[in-house]
Amino acid sequence: MAGKITLRNLRIFLWVLVAVAAGGAAFLAYGPRVSPADAGDAIYAKPFTLVNQAGAQVTQADFMGTPSAYFYGFTHCPDVCPTALSEMSALLDALGQDADKLQVVFVSVDPERDTPEIMADYVDYFDPRIAALTGDLDQITTMAQDRYIFFEKVPMDGGDYTMEHQASIQLVTADGRFFGTLAAEEGFDVRLAKIRRLIEES
Amino acid sequence: MKQIFLSAILGLLAFPAIAHDFTQGSIYLDHPMIEEAPPNAPVLGGYLSIQNMGEADDRLIAIESTAAEKVEMHNSTVTDGIARMQPMTEGLSIPAGETVWLDNGMHAMFIKPARRHVVGDEVPATLVFENAGRIDVTFKVEERTPGAGASHEGHGG
Repeated sequence: MAGKITLRNLRIFLWVLVAVAAGGAAFLAYGPRVSPADAGDAIYAKPFTLVNQAGAQVTQADFMGTPSAYFYGFTHCPDVCPTALSEMSALLDALGQDADKLQVVFVSVDPERDTPEIMADYVDYFDPRIAALTGDLDQITTMAQDRYIFFEKVPMDGGDYTMEHQASIQLVTADGRFFGTLAAEEGFDVRLAKIRRLIEES
Repeated sequence: MKQIFLSAILGLLAFPAIAHDFTQGSIYLDHPMIEEAPPNAPVLGGYLSIQNMGEADDRLIAIESTAAEKVEMHNSTVTDGIARMQPMTEGLSIPAGETVWLDNGMHAMFIKPARRHVVGDEVPATLVFENAGRIDVTFKVEERTPGAGASHEGHGG
């Protein structure tokens, strides 16, 4: 008899758990949503002056009005950066006619070595549609810090150095708000879906 | 004439089937490859798999190539969203009976290549092992495959 009651209690307890879980799931699905695009400041509207791959001066204003995908990297990077750029090019291809609704921006975190000429040749290989920005180290630093982007110069043996940097691609709405990221471990379809959502919701 | 043409075609067809691997002692090296990079790329990433068929552990301690100013072994990682690259100062351990991939972030970094390399090029290099000694290989330049991430298809990474 006592055993039966315990079993019944356990059953009730489990059903209560199920109800709580269902309620939680419903809240997550239908509850108030704080999306980064609604909540965040327009961090990408903060001012910068950099140089594009044509050697022309550009500011934040030149990149407003269209949803964007920003990648921060450098050309002395054998693995992560070329992969990110070739994937962005493949994503632009996959967007087809909508490709002009997304601007892809590659910002050098190594402006000491990445001149506009180097950036031009480098980016051209992957996709001439990608805007490549470099410039003054102070400007790059301010631009990155205003957008919560990490990068750091790391000395290596023999006087050389490498850069540690934010790996994820930053998605930005047309009005300069942070929308989300594309991470390295995500599949192509997930990335494409995120970009399509950025374009739709922007 | 026709026959010569035909055998030339057959020869071309047969070419990719030629195994691209190297064996010395108990070390078996498979598919050394470099991903094609922009024309002015100051660095190239090289990858391969290394199988130790022997009963003693070995270690890859250096990679040399006349095609670049120097070759370093690096490990690229993405941790907490930050991309980092560390030199593999201890080399790469190849335990007895195991296969290790220079892949999935680990790479041979060809620094300041002497010239541009395009798909189909072969880049000579020498892998230096603690026990197996020096093994000459050629890294084949291949197309970069978007979507593969830092790892390469078929390498199980």
